[in-house]
Amino acid sequence: MPREIITIQAGQCGNSIGSQFWQQLCQEHGINQDGNLEDFATEGGDRKDVFFYQSDDTRYIPRAILLDLEPRVIQGIQNGPYKNIYNPENFFIGSQGSGAANNWGFGYAAGEKVQEEVFDMIDREADGSDSLEGFMLLHSIAGGTGSGLGSYILERMNDRFPKKLIQTYSVFPDTHNDNVVVNPYNSMLSMRRLAQNADSVVVLDNGALSRIAADRLHVQEPSFQQTNQLVSTVMSASTTTLRYPGYMHNDLVGIVAALIPTPRCHFLMTSYTPFTSDNVEQAKTVRKTTVLDVMRRLLQPKNRMVSTTPSKNSCYISILNIIQGEADPTEVIASSLSLVDRKINVSQVHKSLLRIRERRLATFIPWGPASIQVALTKKSPYLSNTYRVSGLMLANHTSVATLFRRIVVQYDKLRKRNAFLEGYKKEAPFANGLQEFDEARAVVMDLINEYEEAETEAYLDPEKGKDKAEGT
Amino acid sequence: MVNESSNRVHDALKSLVDLYLSSDQDGDREGADDRRDDVHDILKYIVDGHSRAVVIQDFDRVSNLIKDKSLQEDEPTERRVQLSNLIARFRTQPVLSQKCAILDVLRQLAYSDSAAVSEARTAAGAGSQHRQASRSGAQNRNDDMQTLEEQPAQGHQAKKGNLERANGTARAGKDNSTAPGPRGEVAPDPMALEDSDPSEAALLHDLPFTLQGLSTTNLPFTDTSILKLPATLPLPLISLLHTLAEPSLLYRNLSNFVQSSDEGLVGQSLRAAIGNELRSYLGLIATLEGEIRRALTSVGGIRSRGNIGKVGVTLKRCVIWTREATMGLRLMSLMVEEASSRKGGQLISMIHAFSTSHGDPFVGAFAERMLTHVTRPFYDMLRQWIYDGELSDPYHEFFVIESDARGSDDKEADARRAPATSVWEDKYRLDAGMVPSIVTEAFAEKVFLIGKSLNFIRHSCGDSAWVEAYCKVASKELHYGDTATLETSIDKAYKATMARLIHLMDNKFHLFEHLRALKKYLLLGQGDFIALLMESLSSNLDNPAGSQYRHTLTAQLEHAIRGSNAQFDSQDVLRRLDARLVELSHGDVGWDVFTLEYKVDAPVDVVITPWASKQYLVIFNLLWRVKRVEFALGSTWRRCMTGARGVLATVDDKLSRDWKTARCCMAEMIHFVNQLQYYILFEVIEASWDQLQAAVTKQDCTLDDLIQAHTKYLKAITHKGLLGKPTTGNREDSFTSQLHEILKITLAYKDIVDGLYSFSVAEFTRRQELAAKIEIRTAQGQWGLTEKDEIDQALTSPIASRNHLSGNESRTDSPFPINPSGGIPGLNSATTSEDQMLPALRQRLGDLAIDFKFRLSVLLGDLAVQPDVDMKFLGVVMNFNDVYAPRRRKREHHREKEKKTPSVVAVGS
Repeated sequence: MPREIITIQAGQCGNSIGSQFWQQLCQEHGINQDGNLEDFATEGGDRKDVFFYQSDDTRYIPRAILLDLEPRVIQGIQNGPYKNIYNPENFFIGSQGSGAANNWGFGYAAGEKVQEEVFDMIDREADGSDSLEGFMLLHSIAGGTGSGLGSYILERMNDRFPKKLIQTYSVFPDTHNDNVVVNPYNSMLSMRRLAQNADSVVVLDNGALSRIAADRLHVQEPSFQQTNQLVSTVMSASTTTLRYPGYMHNDLVGIVAALIPTPRCHFLMTSYTPFTSDNVEQAKTVRKTTVLDVMRRLLQPKNRMVSTTPSKNSCYISILNIIQGEADPTEVIASSLSLVDRKINVSQVHKSLLRIRERRLATFIPWGPASIQVALTKKSPYLSNTYRVSGLMLANHTSVATLFRRIVVQYDKLRKRNAFLEGYKKEAPFANGLQEFDEARAVVMDLINEYEEAETEAYLDPEKGKDKAEGT
Repeated sequence: MVNESSNRVHDALKSLVDLYLSSDQDGDREGADDRRDDVHDILKYIVDGHSRAVVIQDFDRVSNLIKDKSLQEDEPTERRVQLSNLIARFRTQPVLSQKCAILDVLRQLAYSDSAAVSEARTAAGAGSQHRQASRSGAQNRNDDMQTLEEQPAQGHQAKKGNLERANGTARAGKDNSTAPGPRGEVAPDPMALEDSDPSEAALLHDLPFTLQGLSTTNLPFTDTSILKLPATLPLPLISLLHTLAEPSLLYRNLSNFVQSSDEGLVGQSLRAAIGNELRSYLGLIATLEGEIRRALTSVGGIRSRGNIGKVGVTLKRCVIWTREATMGLRLMSLMVEEASSRKGGQLISMIHAFSTSHGDPFVGAFAERMLTHVTRPFYDMLRQWIYDGELSDPYHEFFVIESDARGSDDKEADARRAPATSVWEDKYRLDAGMVPSIVTEAFAEKVFLIGKSLNFIRHSCGDSAWVEAYCKVASKELHYGDTATLETSIDKAYKATMARLIHLMDNKFHLFEHLRALKKYLLLGQGDFIALLMESLSSNLDNPAGSQYRHTLTAQLEHAIRGSNAQFDSQDVLRRLDARLVELSHGDVGWDVFTLEYKVDAPVDVVITPWASKQYLVIFNLLWRVKRVEFALGSTWRRCMTGARGVLATVDDKLSRDWKTARCCMAEMIHFVNQLQYYILFEVIEASWDQLQAAVTKQDCTLDDLIQAHTKYLKAITHKGLLGKPTTGNREDSFTSQLHEILKITLAYKDIVDGLYSFSVAEFTRRQELAAKIEIRTAQGQWGLTEKDEIDQALTSPIASRNHLSGNESRTDSPFPINPSGGIPGLNSATTSEDQMLPALRQRLGDLAIDFKFRLSVLLGDLAVQPDVDMKFLGVVMNFNDVYAPRRRKREHHREKEKKTPSVVAVGS
């Protein structure tokens, strides 16, 4: 009885990331391109059933639903090396096949039309799971399909599965250097859904991804393929504790409950280190990785996959570091000592935490306990890595609000001039006017305020005063 | 100086003479005086007269004389060689000073009969005689028989003592009367003065029998330790016979000892060894007898009064010939005497002490010879022990003992432990007192381990085939003295046995697999299994302990195994996993009495002892509790989070602040539980596990090392895992009870948050109903809301909320059905409106939050003063950003006060 997670990939970006993610998972679990287990993949210890189910002929099939309004990317997947692993019934391509033309409204409206078909798929997958834990939505918030259709699905899921967790991996547009002018509109409208209808949003932004690709990998013009590999690495790392059960964090709730104290502040940023050629082609080799190294690098802003401009008040609400090390040496007890040496040493984590605290490498909220929580997990035994330790940080940091604020600023600029609104006015959601835009902006502003309040010590205080007044 | 010393000597002599001669009551005074002077002169002569011309002969001359004589007497060549050897050895003796004179005396003694001696005495002023006397110890001897007869026992005793001194056997401290061993008892007849009767020839004829301990007419043994000497003999003969009586009596005793039977193989082999020695003694006697026979025939039988000394066999010579044998006999009787209170290893140690720490090379060599025989059974036992693992020691002589052969205190110890454990721990013991000194302590320890392991392999591990094969290949004859081979073979055996034992433990009994399984299941390593088990059991365990049934538990366990990765574990492991209930105590709920159990059986329980199993259960209990709280908080968190997307969002205007406080407090609790879990699971269990791994993967790990490492592992977990005994003795203060208290508060808080959720849902429903009503009425053209509605609302809402609640909850996956009526007074009453319910909830939330923070800061204060680095670390990570102010213990007494004053808020929040 696994705690299954159903992945919904919407739009061009979502599907590209998704296909990369599934490829990564297949490699980690030793599943070949047909969905069968490789001969060498006999070492148990992993749980494939969280993300896969087995067909009648015991092939592993991803619990994935692939949605797009234009056929290009999905057809690419259907012709790609891993085409056989997907359930062919789980592909959905919009009937017109023309795409959403970077228009949120078009995507949203299309969602309305195709919802029956889409939710048929989702229901089928949900019925096929014993104890569904939740959903993962992969999309970008800037384009048309991922943002529009994604938003629609989020809203509907809220009604259909009120008790299931909904997590999204949302790719934000590069706010500094964006060539699609209407992206601020699309982002703003999607962000409202992310704020209101999702439980946890992993924020990835194209600007940061390209920057990391450029810095870390020494690629001037990183391809989408490369940035997608970054994202899929992050996704696979953040799900390792679900796939390799250990002492803790074995379900999605266990992970996000520790990260998200209040429902609105559920936008998580990530860092990952080290990126090497194992994950991303042309990555430079990192010489030595110790736990302290990894944990320190994870805290460095330049490794964050979100471009934020932290103020001096910015602080962490919570941090979860998922540290991956060598496979558990207990499996090969008494064979050699070198394996014991290569295992992540708990005392290294211990030391690193104290060092970080001592040097104040991370600032935390002033109103409640917060610390770096660590999850030590196994690495897939089937992938050979040149590095010993790798780490993913999932963090709830208040500076994520600065990204939102930039979007609001850009949005305001466009909105003031009422620029490029013609396309939106044609679509169904705006048939009755453009108040949808203003509502979205209000929600996002509330969100930004909440994050800024969380930076102050008074975050809880007013309530406390009232509590006492009412209590006595 | 010279004068002074000579004066002193003279005085001493005088007093000595007075002492002896004054006791003459009868006899005329003058005669006595004369005699006294006479004696005194003689003595003076003895003391001063070492410069007599006769005496100043050089050593070579005397020895040549002796050699010539022996040539004349046509003695066999070997005897002559022996003689010259003796002379040479005598010459090199460093102790004696007047060697030349001594040799001369010996010569005269040897080659002159008693008559000649007495002639010499009268002629040469009794010089030689006196010298003899002086040699045999500072006992003055008068030629007056009467005087001497009065002191025969003393004379004998002194002589004996002297001999003993020469042999160097430490017997000096013993009292004459208690001095064990044979003593010739003489019953001299005062009337018998004259010629010896029976004759020396007759005595010589009887002597071989006497020396073999047989009674003869002349020398009957009246008792086992008494040889009766004829009363008619002259004193010199008596004294000779005294000397000869010693070996006779010793022989008698020893042969008695040899014939006696003893429990104990070493004792028996000691008898055998002594028997051997006695046989060679008898051989000597036989030769002696041959000599005597020859001599007697040559002089014409015992009846002849001929001078038997002429043929070279006299009693004196017999004394000389039997001297060495006597020493041997004496040594043996000493050993026999010492042996009576010892057995086995101690016996060997005793003989070994003679061979190593004795200055006399004769004693050393003799003891060494004995050891070779005596240790034979010991080495046989040793061999069987180290190659077979069998203790064949019917008389408890080996230094390894089977425990149940011992006293009652061991039986008590056995009763305390489970019987199976004792196979390794208690079946055999090393008795340090029985370790013979021929082996070292470390060696004995190794031997003990080898045999124990072999025995264990054979009986507990059921691998006697290997033991037999090993025995065939490796078995070697072991001897005393061959130390190098012994060491190497022991080392080899040690390595082979230990490797085999570890191999068996690992491969046949899957010890390491069991250890891993224990870590996986009892220490929650298999997260998915534990989560599933908890989820499926939770609804059951909420019920009281009395209504728990084992079959439901096992069914759920089965379910959890099948649904998780545990299913891939080996059947053997899963078979041992069991769910059960610990003993009930009143009022417990299922959570308190549920426990997982992992059964191990022999021989693995040697490592995973009952004590260890109990520790595992204790640790499991804490981990399970913490996990339960995490689980409960997680499910409430999920309800609140997903609720925020819908239901809770609609009542934001009224309850948003309550929810914010509640959520942040829950976040605190989640943080606490997560840090606690991380600490126990990774910092404590994983770190200790690594240590255990390192210890057991070491190259030369023995089973004992393994047991020790495992015990250490568990102790570390219990101590660092906050399960240790409280240092202050106050149970309240122990970390365990503090943790339990905090966890209890957390669960209570969670229940209230669930109550708040239900309240919100009720509020939501009420609003929806109202809105629907308004909508309908508005559609009908009436007022949306009337005053009557408001009153109705106030009355019906609690019922409505409860109805909604039950419908709602049945759909959730919560293990804790919300029971808002529990804990919040007034909720049951239908007349209570939500206006009263909300403050009650708020009050309770606030109180619990304060209590939680307070107790946590006390815990942090305690952790901060812990000497253990890891425990300090827990305090640090729980308070990573310094929001809590750790409280010192001394403020404890304020707690009650603070609890009652809501105005006191935990510092830092």
